[in-house]
Amino acid sequence: MKKCLIFLEKEYEKFCVDLLKTAEEIYGDAYESCALSFDADTEPAEGRFDELITVTDERVQTYDVSVLSGIIGELHQEQQFDSILILATHFGRMLAPSLAMELGTGLVADITKIGHHKDQIEMIRPAFSGKILAGIINTRDNAVMMSVRPGVFLYEDVKEKDTRIWEYSPKEVRSPKIEHVSRREKPKSRDIRESEVLVSGGGGILDDFDMLDGLAERLGGMKSASRRVVDSGKADRSIQVGQSGKIVHPRLYMAIGICGVLQHIAGLNRVEHLIAVNTNKNAPICSLADIVVEGDARTFVEKMIKRIDSGN
Amino acid sequence: MTKTDILEKLGTMLEADQINTDPEDLYDASADRYKKYAKAKKVLDNPIPAAIVYPKDTEEVKELLMFCNENGINVIPRSGKTSTEGGLENWKELALVIDGKNLNKIINIDTYNMQATVQSGVALQHLEDELRKIGYTTGHSPQSKPVAQYGGLVATRSIGQFSTLYGGIEDMVVGLECVFPDGHVCRIKNVPRRAAGPDIRHIAIGNEGTLCYITEVTVKIFKYFPENNLFYGYLVKDVATGIKVLREVFVNGYRPSVARVYSEEDARQHFYHFHEGKCVLIFMAEGAKPIADACGKGIEEAVEKFSDGIIKKVDSALIEDWFNHLNWSQKDIDDEVQEMINNDRHSGYTTEISASWELIPQIYDNVINRIRKEFKQADDLVMLGGHSSHSYLNGTNMYFVYQYNINCEPEDEFRMYHHPLQTIIVEETLKLGGSMCHHHGVGKYRNQWIKEEHGSAYYMLEKLKETFDPNKVMNFGSIFYEEEGAKFQK
Amino acid sequence: MKIVCLLKFTPDVDAFEYDYENNVLIRENIKQIINLDDACALGYALNLKKKHPEIEIEVVTMGPLSVKGLMEDVLRRRVDRGTILSDPVFAGSDTLATSLILGEYLKRTEYDVILTGTQTLDGDTAHVPSQLAGYLGIGQMSAIMKIDEASFLEGAPLVEVDTENHTDTYKIAFPAILSVRRESRYRLPFVRYADLEMDVSDRLHIIDNSVLQVDENIIGTHGSATKVVKTYMQTYERKDRVVVQNDDEGIETVYNFLKENGYLK
Repeated sequence: MKKCLIFLEKEYEKFCVDLLKTAEEIYGDAYESCALSFDADTEPAEGRFDELITVTDERVQTYDVSVLSGIIGELHQEQQFDSILILATHFGRMLAPSLAMELGTGLVADITKIGHHKDQIEMIRPAFSGKILAGIINTRDNAVMMSVRPGVFLYEDVKEKDTRIWEYSPKEVRSPKIEHVSRREKPKSRDIRESEVLVSGGGGILDDFDMLDGLAERLGGMKSASRRVVDSGKADRSIQVGQSGKIVHPRLYMAIGICGVLQHIAGLNRVEHLIAVNTNKNAPICSLADIVVEGDARTFVEKMIKRIDSGN
Repeated sequence: MTKTDILEKLGTMLEADQINTDPEDLYDASADRYKKYAKAKKVLDNPIPAAIVYPKDTEEVKELLMFCNENGINVIPRSGKTSTEGGLENWKELALVIDGKNLNKIINIDTYNMQATVQSGVALQHLEDELRKIGYTTGHSPQSKPVAQYGGLVATRSIGQFSTLYGGIEDMVVGLECVFPDGHVCRIKNVPRRAAGPDIRHIAIGNEGTLCYITEVTVKIFKYFPENNLFYGYLVKDVATGIKVLREVFVNGYRPSVARVYSEEDARQHFYHFHEGKCVLIFMAEGAKPIADACGKGIEEAVEKFSDGIIKKVDSALIEDWFNHLNWSQKDIDDEVQEMINNDRHSGYTTEISASWELIPQIYDNVINRIRKEFKQADDLVMLGGHSSHSYLNGTNMYFVYQYNINCEPEDEFRMYHHPLQTIIVEETLKLGGSMCHHHGVGKYRNQWIKEEHGSAYYMLEKLKETFDPNKVMNFGSIFYEEEGAKFQK
Repeated sequence: MKIVCLLKFTPDVDAFEYDYENNVLIRENIKQIINLDDACALGYALNLKKKHPEIEIEVVTMGPLSVKGLMEDVLRRRVDRGTILSDPVFAGSDTLATSLILGEYLKRTEYDVILTGTQTLDGDTAHVPSQLAGYLGIGQMSAIMKIDEASFLEGAPLVEVDTENHTDTYKIAFPAILSVRRESRYRLPFVRYADLEMDVSDRLHIIDNSVLQVDENIIGTHGSATKVVKTYMQTYERKDRVVVQNDDEGIETVYNFLKENGYLK
């Protein structure tokens, strides 16, 4: 029976449980799943895994990956896992390579798909900014390691398990090399340059600029503005797109009532999708759009919000 | 003489509100848009002028010039401040900027004799607005129209977007008043034409502040018929084809107010919504209806003659719409400064040259090829192209336009990009016999080639300087090469 | 103090064009650039050196000899020493093998701290810094947005790290590997105009495996622990512009577009 270890990370327990879907794609049903928790909430894992291993040793500094790598390495000596799956969070992206070095095994980052190459596990991941996909195998006679971004695999078809929970006591615990000093919440107001979706308003929606909040929120994005809107005082300069504003590179740019003078376009850097809403379908911006909605901006926003809220 | 001495003396000559010593304004006055990036990044190392002064009449200009002339203080005449070629840059430890902003009165608009007289600090837009109210126009419309003022326009031999109908500023000026450094005030009277010796207007027009300070100008005015405007746009195969069509129109005697051809690259940034990767040819015909119509017909015939090179006609509404959004304003200039500060990039630079019909396409190709081949930062160029926008019976201009990613420190920017590019353009133009300056003036960075530009005729230019400004206090380094200033160029 | 900056020269991945007709990614003639995260790391080091000229900076990279010109430009930014680890047997190394090679060199080199980027433009795994730290047995932190200067100079910097929801501050005593992100905006100074042609050959060192003696069976294309067995092209359609009206049908088109492209959660 193959044995797959999934690292259970604090605050990301549910996403870690989703990795059972990845394990299923590798092995089907014929494997044994183990969750490993240091300081995570184990409840989401209970009834999902075959085994749940906890390490609650007080000597363990759980934020130092070198400490955890040492312990997992020791555990692996004993358990001989066939594969180790780690969620690609900030922490997981340090733990996985550190552990791979500890074990001397290969590691594939951010896989999005599982395939099979002869009788080996083929780990498929995007390469060159997602422009191609690469299928990768592990050549070592050792645990196959991979990291997976949260939400890429969803474990929906849940199988109830009778989870065996046991505590592992590491023989040796390394002393930490880093010290956590403080933590603070990230400020809520974000930078439009970091938003994947921008709902951007121009002269065509000047009087109803605030309506765009509703649409931006529903698309998980942010509101931005053309110079015209900023000059009129309806928006802060910090959200202005264009030559004198910011250069943005969202995946989706919705240009609502923006005609698209060159100075505005200068602020768009490799936008993947562009939707333009304009009363004039020959406005310059429309030449760049995937979809041009010919019509009034305000009406569009109202209808769109309604459509999204009605779902399906 | 020290800066303190200068300020002390100025205090006895002018009111306090006519003397500006604000450090930011003085920093700004130490260079112009030639070094716009270093300036925006606050790394300019030009000497800071002692003050900016705002005389309110010719008498004050005269006193200021005499004071500077006697004490060896560099005078930088300025009005409008849209200079792009270093004309407003300061190369001297002791310098005074004389700004015309208080010389802001429209003295007379005479619609019977079709001329208007203004002081040199009058903004072009201001006069244009006044004329439009009564159905007239100045006919002068550089992109800088909302900012530029008459003193600067005349001193730099400016040209506007409708020059092919109305001419350059030199065709519009009928008379003027100017002050020489020794205090002599000259008034050139306003007559339709005369044969009373050489045309002395041209000593002042285009002097770039190196000979005299212009205080008053009288220009022609024109009747305005916007309702008759006709717009034409075409996608054409290449620049050479476009130039051929332009030539055809002009040699047949037609005078469209706008006649331009854009290279593919330049078209992309002006007409990104319809250029389809091709060169763009545009025309505008205006004037009294029968004239505009006839001119439109002449354009259509010329296009027809070269139809092999015409790819398609563009909806004229697109051309008209584009024209209505063409001018930039002070806001645009300020926006670019913000862009440089925030995003480490700017809108690029231009260099304008002129030559005969025959030479222009050759110069264009030579320049582009040489830049591609030998310009070290060619990888950083995001745009290199140009357009012809001012045509004459015997030739046209080429406006080279270039934009680049700035991969250098702000202090080095003009040496790494604009200057080497401009050098190539100037050298290739002079090599074939064109002129290195079509309408921006020489400034301080093309003075290196001024002798080549004029050849044996440089003698006349040189003598003007020796005669009118023997102490070299007038805009040191502009037009005339000065070894002492080379350190700012290299 | 001696800082080692680890740098990778990568193709400017964003500049890749897609050949729609042949359905391939055009990778030729793409300019090599300094990996953006790494450039910030070197920028931090150089700006510190400007204030404290006694700081010594060595830049280490692994790559083909063709990166020499790029390395010379790095040295013209007033870096004290540049080392290129280059050997045909290194080619094709995965992240683990790369870490072994870099680690073997760094074991022979004196340093107080290693500065590098978090992830590369081309590989995008963020593996090497953590693997290398494991190999060298020193502390490491990724995704650093800010390095406090005063504590850095004292040898135990406070670093700010952006995680998904928080900003955490850690203290990491030297020796350590600090991996910054490009969002830190530590700016790499450019080569000055006067230094463009500067001869830097005496500061450039090329080291091959005859010096490092890494077991050839565990590195390179054949020895790496992972191996690419297949590549798949993402297929892209050339964009066709759709013009719709502001009616139910139009709204539906937009809605479906948003849904298909994953903008509606």
